Amino acid sequence: MKALPVSDPGTPDHRSATRYLLWLARTQAATLAGGIAFGIIWMAAPALAPATIGRAVDALAAHDRHGLARWSVVLLGLGVVQTVAGMLRHRFAVTNWLSAAYRTVQVTTRQATRLGATLPKRVAAGEVVSIGTADISHLGHGLDVLARGSGAVVAVVVVTVILLSASPRLGLVVLVGVPLLMATVGLLLRPIHRRQHAYRELTGALTGRAADIVAGLRVLRGVGGEAAFAARYRAQSQELRAAGVRVARVESFLEAAQVLLPGVFVALVTWIGARFALAGEITPGDLVTFYGYAVFLSFPIRTLVEAAQKLTRAHVAARRVVRVLALRPEVADPPTPATPPAATGDLVEPVSGLVVRSGEFTALAAADPADALAIADRLGRYDPASAARLDGVPLRDLAVAAVRERILVADNDARLFRGRLCDELATGAAVDPADLEAALHTAAAHDIVEALPDGLDTELTQGGREFSGGQQQRLRLARALLADPPVLVFVEPTSAVDAHTEARIGDRLVTARAGRTTLACTTSPLLLDRADRVVFVADGRVVAEGTHAELRRTQPRYAATVTRGES
Amino acid sequence: MILPVADGAQVRAYARQLIRRHPRGLAAVLGLHALAAVSGLAAPRLLGQLVESVQHGTTRLTVDRLAGAIAAFVVVQSVLVRFATYAAARLGEQVLAELREEFVERLLAIPLSTVERAGAGDLVNRVTRDVSGLSVTVRQAVPETIIAAVTACFTIGGLLLVGPLLALPSLLAVPLLVFSTRWYLRRAPAGYLRENAAYAGMTDALAETVEGARTVEALRLARRRHERIDHEIGVSYAAERYTLRLRTVWFPFCEISYVVPVVATLLIGGWFYLSGWVTLGAVTAAVLYVQQLIDPLDRLLNWLDQLQQGGASLARLLGVANVRDDLSGPQSVAAWAGQVADRLALPAIPDSERIEARDVRFSYVDSRDVLHGIDLRIEPGERLAMVGPSGAGKSTLGRLLAGVHAPRTGEVTVGGAPLAALPLDELRGHVALVTQEHHVFIGTLRENVALARPGAADEDVRGALAAVDALDWALAIGLDTEVGAGGATLSPAQAQQLALARLVLADPHTLVLDEATSLLDPRAARHLERSLAAVLEGRTVIAIAHRLFSAHDADRVAVVEDGRITELGSHRELIEADGAYAALWRSWHGSAAVPS
Repeated sequence: MKALPVSDPGTPDHRSATRYLLWLARTQAATLAGGIAFGIIWMAAPALAPATIGRAVDALAAHDRHGLARWSVVLLGLGVVQTVAGMLRHRFAVTNWLSAAYRTVQVTTRQATRLGATLPKRVAAGEVVSIGTADISHLGHGLDVLARGSGAVVAVVVVTVILLSASPRLGLVVLVGVPLLMATVGLLLRPIHRRQHAYRELTGALTGRAADIVAGLRVLRGVGGEAAFAARYRAQSQELRAAGVRVARVESFLEAAQVLLPGVFVALVTWIGARFALAGEITPGDLVTFYGYAVFLSFPIRTLVEAAQKLTRAHVAARRVVRVLALRPEVADPPTPATPPAATGDLVEPVSGLVVRSGEFTALAAADPADALAIADRLGRYDPASAARLDGVPLRDLAVAAVRERILVADNDARLFRGRLCDELATGAAVDPADLEAALHTAAAHDIVEALPDGLDTELTQGGREFSGGQQQRLRLARALLADPPVLVFVEPTSAVDAHTEARIGDRLVTARAGRTTLACTTSPLLLDRADRVVFVADGRVVAEGTHAELRRTQPRYAATVTRGES
Repeated sequence: MILPVADGAQVRAYARQLIRRHPRGLAAVLGLHALAAVSGLAAPRLLGQLVESVQHGTTRLTVDRLAGAIAAFVVVQSVLVRFATYAAARLGEQVLAELREEFVERLLAIPLSTVERAGAGDLVNRVTRDVSGLSVTVRQAVPETIIAAVTACFTIGGLLLVGPLLALPSLLAVPLLVFSTRWYLRRAPAGYLRENAAYAGMTDALAETVEGARTVEALRLARRRHERIDHEIGVSYAAERYTLRLRTVWFPFCEISYVVPVVATLLIGGWFYLSGWVTLGAVTAAVLYVQQLIDPLDRLLNWLDQLQQGGASLARLLGVANVRDDLSGPQSVAAWAGQVADRLALPAIPDSERIEARDVRFSYVDSRDVLHGIDLRIEPGERLAMVGPSGAGKSTLGRLLAGVHAPRTGEVTVGGAPLAALPLDELRGHVALVTQEHHVFIGTLRENVALARPGAADEDVRGALAAVDALDWALAIGLDTEVGAGGATLSPAQAQQLALARLVLADPHTLVLDEATSLLDPRAARHLERSLAAVLEGRTVIAIAHRLFSAHDADRVAVVEDGRITELGSHRELIEADGAYAALWRSWHGSAAVPS
């Protein structure tokens, strides 16, 4: 078996769902071929078994001991071949399934990181996440079923040839009967799929309801309403049950049809065969053979129906994958990026008139916090229309990577990832343990780490969700400080921590960023008081600058913003 | 893990109880499947007779009759299969509905203290993955297993009827199957658990990369995310390879076990025939029966895994009933019901609205107290603000004052009655804990407001919304419009107002605000503060303060440090005392400010 994952998943063909499936198939052509080859052998071996049993019965009828022994050995041989081929086919099938699923996860991840900040704007996260939870398994099934499907096709052909050569007329009955059976079963499947779809939707809704109850359980247990929720859940659960019974009703007809149709077919073949045998056209052994084939054929037919279903689903899944893969990031590199400036210059945002002076700790208080967010987006060039300049060079003339390297916007939507805490905090290539200590100190996050069972080596299992809002904020702060970019833009960095801690962080932050360009968007006096310079933004424009104390004295609107009309 | 899992005995007892609950349904399913299996056995036997009669020369009429009989049995079998599968599915759906409804009822009875501590992750998993895993088991694995078992039993019966001698060769397969399957099943559950966990790890890594795409770009984490995903894929692949190895051993054993009896029956049966002990028809029928046995046997073995997994899911669902309360040890469903009854039976009637804590100590983990002897008396109508560094025990004290946890020693009382002994329904009428959480439930806006009083009159709902200044937008959206996941979206500020309106309707005399305002959407902060003020009007308020201005407005301020109240008094008193609070206040307020 080959080693997975592949180091480079390659560039997917995202022009259409079919092309994507073909691309996947091409990337794993060798194992796919192996799967198909063994799938054929695996299916062909049992296809020869009824003929063998027939010959053995004939030998018996003729009291031919050697014949009986010979055909029994052949039957055993076929069984061994089937067993070995089946095992190898299964191994190839698993490899094919996993290769398709893993490669899709890889290309989707790479696309997600390429899209970056564009992703949440263009597509619901749930849609991309569902590629991982649902679509990859459909793609896996699609490639897996190719092998068995090919085997089924070959088996049907082999059986037809055997029957035609034994008795052309009976062979013709089988030849006409098999596609007829498939078509009938296919017809029955359609109404089932409709009802199954409805059932799945209801299942999803009920799961959503249960998850909703769990998510709001604190509220429910605190305020009340359990009885009403239990009743509502029960009603919906009964609705699902009724839908399930409706599906089952149609399915039960399919089950019956799957007994009836092949059964009648078997009876028909047996009847015709018995008449031929009676007339001496075929031997009793042939009769057993025909019976055996009529029974056997339902197996490859089922496989073919399954293959058709799975390939259809794989195609639908591929369509969803392709839709995500075809997206482009909205902030792109210019054709010929300018040379990045020395990062020591001022950062200027012309729309608001904001100037973040090099090496200073600037605080920005906005009467409307939405203004602060918009300005931060422009400073970090997340806004494609940003006209911000660093040391006189427009950010949009620079390569995106060059901007990200120089300017970090640390906002409260930033996410902590699962993994060892120290790794998740130290995002840079190599981080000095002393720097890590310093960053934790600045963010007043030592107590969080100390409370963890393994300290900095603790695995975050829920991506920070195990921490309270305030703890998450301090950890994010530490991470941003550790990244140590030349220009650091904070958005409300301490909005969820208590006043004691906030005061402490304020003091340490100013020291930690001494000499580095820093902007903190905040309305907290504890931070504003410590900044070198405070900029007050109202209606999207800078309206005043000065120290916190000056602005409080001279700007009534500023005073109102930062103290929330408390005095 | 905080939430327990039921043990094997409990799961088995529950399964027995399920069977006892549906004796007739189960009997019908088994009976119908048995009849279907019996009619399925006719064909090989009739074919045997056909071969026999053809061999000895017979009339076309006999042939036609035998073929007709085969067709007739097929028709009968298919009709029986139709009703049998339908009956099984109906029973399965019913059992499944009972299981999930019982689980949700149990979920809704989990003690507040556990809910506060457990976190949603585990419960969400149980409510989604385990319920759907169990669904596959109950809807498919159990019926398929029953069908397979019944069919296999009757096929063996048919074989014995044809000739007991001819059943002997099949016994060759038994040791092969038994040993290989036991070997496999001993290793498989752990292997598949690991496989599923690794697979979930991979999809989770993809999910967090997608959800954190902006963070990935900002911190230039793309390479790390790729490495992470590739690592998770590697872990998943290793787990997959392990189970694949197990199957690589087990599958061939099974397949050979299917082939050997067919060959043996043919060979040994043929020898019997040649010796004149059995007829050719009997040998033919026996070989076909043995072949027919393969399918149900294979199905049976294939569903064993799923049955095991279903059992594990059931254990996790039932385990919710084993949740420990703060006051007692682990308990069974029955004991838990008894405990609720005890709580109801305690005649603790508060004689006033005064909340009092006396020498309260509390620990989450044994022997590590986070509160060290708190004494606090809050007069009705008073506003108390608690300030202090994070981790000092403010939130814990708040939860004790709200009756969520019971103190380890000492007591928290309302009007002289211990809070923790009050029935939950009554407790809610006294004191409510208000947190940052403002969940909007799936349902109408009206249902969302009227959580505490489901039958609340329209004017009460409107009144509650009006009190928090939310009536305008609520009417614009429509009281009967579906909100929450999948419905109309509410802004965070609206969701928060909704939470406040619920409180107005619940009408407790005391509110414990735990950072309730800290996540207020700053864009609507002032508006929301007015709404909050309306809710607080006329109630006792204990606020775990985040922003110092709320401390400044309070009647008294309690400074909590290291699990103790270190300063207690009015804002002015504390400023004059010039302790920790005064220092903080000066820093926050700026030196230019004059204390008002």
